[in-house]
Amino acid sequence: MGAGGMPDEGGSGKRKRRSLDAVINVVPAIDLLSCCISFLLFTAVWTQISRLQVQQLGTGAPETEQTEQQKQLMVTLAMGERGFNLTTSAGTAIDIPALGRGEKGEIRFDVKALEGQLKQLKSGFPDASSITVSAEDTVSYGDLVQVIDTCVGAGLAGVAVTGI
Amino acid sequence: MPIVTPGKRPAKRFEKSKILGGKMVKGRRATNAELNVVPMVDMMTMLVIFLLAQFSSTGEVLYMQKDIKLPDARHGQMIEIAPVVAIGADQVVVTGVKVADIPDLDRDSGYLNIPTLEERLRDEKKRWEFIHKSDPSSKWDGVVNIQADKGVPFRIVKRVMYSCGVAGYFNVNFAAIDAGSVAATQTEKTPAG
Repeated sequence: MGAGGMPDEGGSGKRKRRSLDAVINVVPAIDLLSCCISFLLFTAVWTQISRLQVQQLGTGAPETEQTEQQKQLMVTLAMGERGFNLTTSAGTAIDIPALGRGEKGEIRFDVKALEGQLKQLKSGFPDASSITVSAEDTVSYGDLVQVIDTCVGAGLAGVAVTGI
Repeated sequence: MPIVTPGKRPAKRFEKSKILGGKMVKGRRATNAELNVVPMVDMMTMLVIFLLAQFSSTGEVLYMQKDIKLPDARHGQMIEIAPVVAIGADQVVVTGVKVADIPDLDRDSGYLNIPTLEERLRDEKKRWEFIHKSDPSSKWDGVVNIQADKGVPFRIVKRVMYSCGVAGYFNVNFAAIDAGSVAATQTEKTPAG
């Protein structure tokens, strides 16, 4: 009997008092939880995979509708062994050289500098929302995805990919 | 001889003995032991809550393969169900069927398209059209998921993208590991200031 409870039985009275403690049968609850856990473990997705949507140029794909202001500014980012080359139809041309080569001979791009330039560009042209990424054949998929991710993060969500 | 319970069987004179009688008495303890299941129920409830939080209604669209290591992305969107073109270090696979070898693609680099890939994707498109024949509201969006290894060069990705476009899949999604949730968790853990 728990503290503060009434006496279970007996006492000076003639009538027996009922016990205040109730026994709850938790076996069905355990069964249900076990089934839930088994189902959820089987259907669990442990690796969260996301997607970066891109358009490809030159394959007859329908172009997304753009306003006149958006059409006025065309942003092109060329990436290759030398690094990045960011150009706009407004006359801007910025070179961001690569940081060199990695241990396996891969190109090390200066993504942070690119991010800064893209944010600066976006603040100068708030209506700009699309960019064309032109990559050389030697650029790896990992670097391409990183650059696309940077562009989307800077507010240029409409990314088109093409080869040089 | 009668069947008796195994164990000590004292002599009758010992049962009455004050000294030895107590040791020989048996069967006083209850055979039913009560287990406290409350901590177990608590633990199972916590497990169910955690697994429900991890639950994804779309299921696993992309299956992680040993030879494909995906890059990380912070600003990606939730992946959607579409045909998957997996580009590994050795081969190109569409929905589990191999369509090309990477060394072969490198050898005939003069062409931009991959005919077997196009054919396979056209079959997928035909199947989609057949399924949605009686549903005029559904519109072809041409979505394809490309799942490639980090180190795959763009010359291979470019050919795959071109083939997808020729086959009618012009809406390309690049698959990446969602690093946004991981980064958010790390930011939350870092004390402010």
